[in-house]
Amino acid sequence: MAQDPPKNSGGGNTPKPGGNQPKSPAGQSAKERSRAQSRPVSGKAATKAPPARSTAKPKGASASRPAGSKGGNTPRPGRSASSAKPPRGLSGALIAWGVVGLVVVVVAVLVIVNVTSSSTKAANYTPVTPAPASVVKDVTTVPASVYNTVGITMPAAAHAGLPITLSKQPALTLSGKTPALFYFGAEYCPYCAAERWGIVTGLARFGTWSGLELTASSSTDVYPSTPTFSFRNATFTSPYVSFFPVENCTNIPDASNASCSGYTTLQTPTSQEQSVINKYSSPTYIPGATAGSVSFPFVDVDNKVLFSGATYSPQLLAGLTQAEIASHLTDPTNSVTQAVIGTANIVSASVCAGTKQQPAAVCTSKGVQAAAKALKLS
Amino acid sequence: MTSLRWQPVTTLVLSILGVGVATYLTVTHFDKQALACVSNSTFNCEAVTTSPQSEILGIPVAMLGLAFFVPMIVLCLPVAWRTANRWVHLVRLAFSVVGVGMIVYLISAELFTIKAVCLWCSGVHLLTFLLFVVIVTSAPIVLAPGYGTESRA
Repeated sequence: MAQDPPKNSGGGNTPKPGGNQPKSPAGQSAKERSRAQSRPVSGKAATKAPPARSTAKPKGASASRPAGSKGGNTPRPGRSASSAKPPRGLSGALIAWGVVGLVVVVVAVLVIVNVTSSSTKAANYTPVTPAPASVVKDVTTVPASVYNTVGITMPAAAHAGLPITLSKQPALTLSGKTPALFYFGAEYCPYCAAERWGIVTGLARFGTWSGLELTASSSTDVYPSTPTFSFRNATFTSPYVSFFPVENCTNIPDASNASCSGYTTLQTPTSQEQSVINKYSSPTYIPGATAGSVSFPFVDVDNKVLFSGATYSPQLLAGLTQAEIASHLTDPTNSVTQAVIGTANIVSASVCAGTKQQPAAVCTSKGVQAAAKALKLS
Repeated sequence: MTSLRWQPVTTLVLSILGVGVATYLTVTHFDKQALACVSNSTFNCEAVTTSPQSEILGIPVAMLGLAFFVPMIVLCLPVAWRTANRWVHLVRLAFSVVGVGMIVYLISAELFTIKAVCLWCSGVHLLTFLLFVVIVTSAPIVLAPGYGTESRA
């Protein structure tokens, strides 16, 4: 309900003394004059105003204004319309929306830069190159104290899980050699990339590596370009265990090759190796596995321990070079070292289960024993 | 003076949704098996939630998200929006600015360092951004002199 303004109220609706006040008609009471000089608060109030008020319209006021129109922003008589201020908060709203727009622009720029840089390198792949002697030396001469200090301590956020321990299975024999470690992976596969570090360092305690090469996983798959080795031309010589690697696919894209998930085929398993894959890469031995398909990497250590997938997240290796990873392997507090050496101890403990705990210096070491205990091998 | 109509309810709903998603991400930070997410060359929640960038000073980012959304629920209650106490509105504004600054950092980390995008995290980013939009555009109203005193006059 419209009401008269309070007598002492301030604000824009109270007529100013003096100035360009219109003269009031003779005979009007003070109250009526006040009403006449005040602009109506609302259209409704103006409509309800007594007819006498219409005669009190000041000179200069628009005679054509309809009775019901709102008058709140109408300049006062005698004031110039150009002197009216914009509504309060307009500049604040502009600033607010400007800030929102700035955030949108920043995020858009980030996305555009990322998409642009990704599209230029989408077709790239990391070639396979011989591993520098310094890198090979770093990964094959990790001090025993590091293995023992790390044990199976891994960064909790990156630990993917332990391999599967088998029981009552015949020892693995490949090409007439036993015990054997069979690796089935692919160069495009980031999980293989992560696991190779542990296999190389773990097996290095049982023999000698040669022909190791460097590469990286696919640049377009998950965990793109994870730095790693390739086993395609690698040879491992040991009096304790034989190593049989198969790098099934390269990291070179080939959309037409569905058998290698869109990469070129590199090596194929022998019939003996295929039998191992068919038997052990199955739901019978690997919970959650799909019959007839293999999850890379698949590693069978003498039919005693099965690795299906990586022991730790490849994300840990993101942005690092092989040389950087290798050079950190003397630091047991480094999270990458913990993941690599922790995996190496698991590999070593698995091998020891097939070598009758030989060599003793390795198999009875603190780090390997910790892994054996975790795998329930001891 | 302009009043707020839909903003209090909208921000309250956004904050509650934010608590829900941040709680889920906090659980999955500690139990990776609970993480359900698309995984391909672009989207990979596991890559993001296990990355070094998933923690700041040892605190999981998901928990920082909870620490953002829980107070935001209180700050976005209708009674908090109506209050004449400017500090409430300033704190809410400051929270939203810090929140959006954080998501700009996290998006850049996803795109350029981790090179993977977590869809659940993107959901949190979207909620944070929408909160920021509503709160910042409401700031000129709630920080205007006399706001909150009209209803008592």
